[in-house]
Amino acid sequence: MQLKVRADLGQLHRIREFVTESAEALGAAPTSFDDLRIAVDEAVTNILTHGYGGPGDVELELTADGSDLVVRLRDRAPSFDPRLAPPADLRPPGERDKPGGLGVHLMKSMMDKIVHRSIDSGNELTMTKCGVIGDARPSIGQEDD
Amino acid sequence: MSEDLKISTSREEGEKAVVVMRLNGSLDANTQSALEAKAKEAVDSGAEYLLLDMSGVDYLGSAGMRGIHAITNLLSPDDTSMRSDRLKVINPSPAAAKIFKTLGFDSFIDIHGNIDEAIAAL
Repeated sequence: MQLKVRADLGQLHRIREFVTESAEALGAAPTSFDDLRIAVDEAVTNILTHGYGGPGDVELELTADGSDLVVRLRDRAPSFDPRLAPPADLRPPGERDKPGGLGVHLMKSMMDKIVHRSIDSGNELTMTKCGVIGDARPSIGQEDD
Repeated sequence: MSEDLKISTSREEGEKAVVVMRLNGSLDANTQSALEAKAKEAVDSGAEYLLLDMSGVDYLGSAGMRGIHAITNLLSPDDTSMRSDRLKVINPSPAAAKIFKTLGFDSFIDIHGNIDEAIAAL
């Protein structure tokens, strides 16, 4: 399942819907949908705000690898490896002006593996959610969206 | 402003200046600024306490949490305590509650089951 889009922040909702539809079509457990949506939303938000600094081309692909669900994101923004971002600043409000690193922290929390590599004039981010495809049948009438 | 997030605001009767903001939809990088703008509007109009009803939030991302963090600073700019006393969250959806917990925001922002309970805690 692949989506190529000239993305801006206004399309995050559509991108999350694509993630849900694709995960469902691939037979992923419905309990994984929220985690997948969050990881992809945060990754695309990072690409747009930190990579392009505005709208830009994003390719999103979801595939099954055995019982694992693999999400692959490609962009043409300057190289940025989210795994190398500083750790999340989770201190209480009074101790900081604004929190940082929350998005990457969420991506790491929701996915089992995150791999970044530089490709021709851009980035490829591969995120894997392990063991979510298998006995679970595609759901009918999911809980939201 | 985004159609992805609807925000309705009401003022509670009582001794304290309490404004309830009911959020419906997605709180992400696209709608964060709409939330902050509405909160600033309320504070500029005299609100001292904000209650965020998040039962209708179907998606909450890190940008939304940054927005909520910004509101705590707006309400208590000089506060260096470990807790936010002027912002309370009411009845977050499971999707929202999960993000509060994952990012540790539930340790410094009170979460209540309903408005009455939140007002009693002010």
